[in-house]
Amino acid sequence: MGGLANVIAVTGIGVISPHGDDHEAMFAALMRGESAIHELAGDSPNARPAPVATAAFDPAPWFTPLQLAGVDRVSQLAVAAAQKALTDANAENACDARRIGVYVGCGMGGCAAVETAYVFGLRNGRVPPLSVPASMPNAPAAHVAMRVKATGPVLTYSVACASSAVAIGEAAKAIRCGEVDMAIAGGSEAPIAPGSIRAWQAMQTLALFEPGNAASSCRPFAIERTGFALGEGAAFLILESSAHARARGARRYAELSGYGLSCDATHLTKPDATGQQAAIRNALAQAGLQPQDIGYCNAHGTATRIGDVVESEALGALWGKDIDRLRVSSTKSMHGHLIGAAGALEAAITVLALHRSQLPPNANCDNADPACRLNLVRNAGESAPGLGAAISSSFAFGGSNAVLVFQRT
Amino acid sequence: MSSLKKLQDLLHEKYSIDPATLDPDASMLEQGIDSLALAEFLFDIEDRFGIEFPDARADVNSLSGLARLIDEIKAAQTA
Repeated sequence: MGGLANVIAVTGIGVISPHGDDHEAMFAALMRGESAIHELAGDSPNARPAPVATAAFDPAPWFTPLQLAGVDRVSQLAVAAAQKALTDANAENACDARRIGVYVGCGMGGCAAVETAYVFGLRNGRVPPLSVPASMPNAPAAHVAMRVKATGPVLTYSVACASSAVAIGEAAKAIRCGEVDMAIAGGSEAPIAPGSIRAWQAMQTLALFEPGNAASSCRPFAIERTGFALGEGAAFLILESSAHARARGARRYAELSGYGLSCDATHLTKPDATGQQAAIRNALAQAGLQPQDIGYCNAHGTATRIGDVVESEALGALWGKDIDRLRVSSTKSMHGHLIGAAGALEAAITVLALHRSQLPPNANCDNADPACRLNLVRNAGESAPGLGAAISSSFAFGGSNAVLVFQRT
Repeated sequence: MSSLKKLQDLLHEKYSIDPATLDPDASMLEQGIDSLALAEFLFDIEDRFGIEFPDARADVNSLSGLARLIDEIKAAQTA
């Protein structure tokens, strides 16, 4: 299924992010290099503080207290971001409800609801009766569907850190094959809960920091990098065929022209450059583009010791002598790692980079690791007037790799 | 304070529902409180009153019916 004849238009963006719930303001903050990462104290004396990026989200405008029964934060964030995307696309009632699909990436489901169930159960043997519907991984997608009355396919993809990149790619596929006319595609994650934080700390993946320095703790591609900050939030795109978007006079932020998948099939958590190359190559092939056509890469860039080197190797192998023409940044340095929502938030940022011809920086990287030979966007406020195409990479625990290609309309 | 008044207060505290807008003798399910919210409400009532509703009485879903059931259970506890 080839490239330009089947391009998908991005006509709406909605976010509930660590940088706020207005995607333009979020992008402006990223362009200024502002970090939303902060320190969260440990939940008890034997717990370490953690670097996190929380979303200042109040459910009150979106849900009545009655509607919140059994609705975990992960679903609340999803409903708000999806509704914002639909409003941004001016797409309410723009399409037969049976022809609207909802595609949601989520890595951890309602993990706070699971923790609450354990705490209640261990304390007095009584578990809140809505623990199952609150925590099930497809709850966010179901709540989005109920809120916007979308009655087509409503699907959830749980592919760890690639979840919502996969959701967006699969949504595009469904539009291309005529299954739906419009897709609400993105992801949601709400992992800031005590047990979840301790689990990520135990995995040795969270950034280390001195007191007061949490904001700059995530240093992708820097020699002194130590890991990422756990982030929460949701991001959704409205996707439709270019013909459908044109017919209803919709604004088009960008076009989604390629989606590539692969699996390393080598190790549960250790990334693999060969597998990553395959996903990038597949995405570029679907878009009908060569590596040198891509001006910007929003990298997976988790700031782990091995991850950044492997990703640099993958890009270097594909771009070869043209690697310096590819500008690269990991915006996780500022918004943290949203796990199952990371791909969607970073896709939204990539779309906005194309739309505004601006490149968000790779913050906190004064000393680039020589093993990560990339042309990083080092400074805030960089414009890129010639930017025509960009990729957003998501590489997951489990070995699944997903890459999205976006192009200027 | 009667059990009914306590239930009305809890419903207001939890779901911001004004007692004047809910007929205590009619099913809550028919007044906009769905089965999931009702399950959560019943769990909170059990916590608040220190009781456990018997499965055989799971059909009780009006506020006044619940208040009578609470009084029955508490009377049995103290008997």
